[in-house]
Amino acid sequence: MAVEYDPALIGRVFEVTDPVSVTAESIGKFCTAIGETNPLYTDAAAAKRGPYGGIVAPPSFAVTFRNGRHFFTHVPRFGRAGFDAGKDVEFRAPIRPGDKITLSSHVKEIYEKTGRSGSMVFVVVRSTVQNQNGEAVAHIDHRFMNRP
Amino acid sequence: MPITSLDSVNVGDTLGPQEIYLSKDQVRNYARTCGMEAPRFMDDEGARAEGLPGMIAPGNMSLGLLSRLVTDWIGMSGARLARLGTTYRQPVQPDHTLTVSGFVTHIEPGEKRVEIDVWIENEDAERLVIGTASVLFP
Repeated sequence: MAVEYDPALIGRVFEVTDPVSVTAESIGKFCTAIGETNPLYTDAAAAKRGPYGGIVAPPSFAVTFRNGRHFFTHVPRFGRAGFDAGKDVEFRAPIRPGDKITLSSHVKEIYEKTGRSGSMVFVVVRSTVQNQNGEAVAHIDHRFMNRP
Repeated sequence: MPITSLDSVNVGDTLGPQEIYLSKDQVRNYARTCGMEAPRFMDDEGARAEGLPGMIAPGNMSLGLLSRLVTDWIGMSGARLARLGTTYRQPVQPDHTLTVSGFVTHIEPGEKRVEIDVWIENEDAERLVIGTASVLFP
């Protein structure tokens, strides 16, 4: 069975979020929440001597920016409600205090797979994490799994 | 042990294991810090109301723990985590001890790239989250 969907969905940006300001405090709180101790992310003096010349956010900070309120109304569903099956994140540049981050999202791919538990439809949504200079600091591919 | 340079890395080198007792408070704190206050990340009652057997940790928190495993290994060597892919196989439940581990599967000398398998296990050695990471050296 081939999964049916409107091909015009693929690649069309359905959401661009309002900018979120990154502060030394928001990076610090995230580091505490995830148990981060690496001086590159937590120690201003040590980070200054490091490769980035100052504190940067740990890579996984890139996935913490919230999608817009209507994000899920734009994610195609097949059958029962989809769930978060995983992510593929490409980290391109560090996020720094003072950055203003937006997410823009589109459906990248829809495909079907048959596993031990039966047929599954995967919807891959790509969110590009961009800073105030228009630089893509990360691409996040969300994989949502549906049971048709 | 953090690495110092690409020359010091070999296929089969291990990352971790890092044993982490994940408390409900830690999960709640992560969820609140990241604006993810869904009932399933707050307490057992909220999770049951959503049809789950009990409270779970956000997938992003697992991704964060795997990312931390790799960046701890990178240390101050100047390498960077370039890619991390995760698959959530089973829910991660708080009030359990997790083991976060990895090992080097491949080295691409021309690109100065190292490929790593990473995973999170529970006390029964079930791999709840699995993933792959790419690290680039300067």
